[in-house]
Amino acid sequence: MADAMNVGVNLEAFSQAISAIQALRSSVTRVFDSLKDGMKNKETLEGREKVFITEFQDNLQSVNRDLNELERLSTLVGRPSESHPLHNSGLLSLDPVQDKTPLYSQLLQAYKWSNKLQYHAGLASSLLNQQSLKRSANQMGASAKRRPKVQPSTLVLPPQYVDDVISRIGRMFPDMAIELFRPNGTSAVLLVTLGKVLKTIVVMRSLFIDRTIVRGFNENVYSEDGKLDIWSKSNYQVFQKVTDHATTALLHYQLPQMPDVVVRSFMTWLRSYIKLFQTPCQRCGKFLQEGLPPTWRDFRTLEAFHDTCRQ
Amino acid sequence: MGVTCVCQVPLAEGKSVQQTIDILHKKLEQLGAVKQGNFTVDCETYHATGNASGQPTKLLYVMHNSETPLSCLALFEGGPCLTADGNFDVLMIKLKSHFQNAKGHKVESRGSRYRYCDFLIKVGAITMSSSARGISVEVEYCPCVVPGDCWNLMKEFMQSFLGPSIPELPSVFATKPEGLYVPADCVDTMTQYLELFSKVRKQQVLPGTTR
Repeated sequence: MADAMNVGVNLEAFSQAISAIQALRSSVTRVFDSLKDGMKNKETLEGREKVFITEFQDNLQSVNRDLNELERLSTLVGRPSESHPLHNSGLLSLDPVQDKTPLYSQLLQAYKWSNKLQYHAGLASSLLNQQSLKRSANQMGASAKRRPKVQPSTLVLPPQYVDDVISRIGRMFPDMAIELFRPNGTSAVLLVTLGKVLKTIVVMRSLFIDRTIVRGFNENVYSEDGKLDIWSKSNYQVFQKVTDHATTALLHYQLPQMPDVVVRSFMTWLRSYIKLFQTPCQRCGKFLQEGLPPTWRDFRTLEAFHDTCRQ
Repeated sequence: MGVTCVCQVPLAEGKSVQQTIDILHKKLEQLGAVKQGNFTVDCETYHATGNASGQPTKLLYVMHNSETPLSCLALFEGGPCLTADGNFDVLMIKLKSHFQNAKGHKVESRGSRYRYCDFLIKVGAITMSSSARGISVEVEYCPCVVPGDCWNLMKEFMQSFLGPSIPELPSVFATKPEGLYVPADCVDTMTQYLELFSKVRKQQVLPGTTR
């Protein structure tokens, strides 16, 4: 008992105990075999009975001996060490039905994966923090005296001001029809119809463009319940590409202090799509590349390029 | 519904209708088009009876398109046209006294339908009373609705698989003022098919075609 606490599992006693179990099993089997075989053939009945009883007694005594041996050895085998590093999850690994419910191996994989994810996320955040990606004018509260929740001034603009800016921009471009809706609170949602080429839905957050989705002129912009459908993609690959480019554009045009200039630049860029199907690519001179017309418009010069032709 | 152009493709040198169609299919598949089933466009002719003598009999054409399977189109050549649902055929049977069906003049184009990016291409064999008369190709550019805008684009696409035999701007579009868009009920497409079928009807039977 003394060495059980200190040493941990006594491997020698463990293997001896296993062989003692085997011996016990075989002696028990012998008992039942002799019972099954019954009395052996001898001349007299008394002789037969005597032989049978002697054999049976011998077998039972060997069983007794083996059992005592096993009990002695089991006290020598130590308990597994108390300081088990796995705690509760280690108990899962003792589950005998490993094939049907491989919980422990899945648990290990999930743990390794989440560790890796955390590490990569840390790397990514340190890389991204090197460049400020905030599009709104925010005052970084450096001292603890300032209230941490300082609302950026350009994010809280009165809806009337937003309406004015949008209508002014709408008047600037005669071939663009801009309609303003406010289906969800104070965020404006614009439906911009560009000639007979495309329709864009621009979701705004005060005067910042949040999201845009471009669909064809003949596609339905309203969903079944009559509201503007701002989520479903266009059915045509060309307009799916233009949606991607428009998202790039709204991230490109950034000027935190003057958001109305940003909106005007974005609308100017969008207006260049009025000749989406008529202009060939400036680089290769062709109209089609993999079935798509030149969908990229350069941010400064507004020239048309195929997506694969821009530098 | 986009801008559609229907044209006739001449047979390749020394090849039959089916062989030329197979060549076109192979070219389309090389480009990367995916086959999406079959299509049928047919046209039946009706003579308008009961006209005063001396006037030429007016011909009424009733056309069907598998793209709009529930409707059919009735039109006079160069005149007004009507879009009706499938029961219009039954109505025509009831109007036997006013419109006689010219049974031998039914023309139809049947073939495969391919999709490539935003284009829909249909290559069909034109048959009239079960004799092959030619090959029709219909190219539709779905995203655009103004024919004047995308004509050059479509021409470039057709050149990539039809080779040198690309058509001119269809007369349907030339008569409309620039910038008027294609209506959604494929009247323009069917008008183009009608012109093509009329041309084919007047042609002689192709030499060497078998039944």
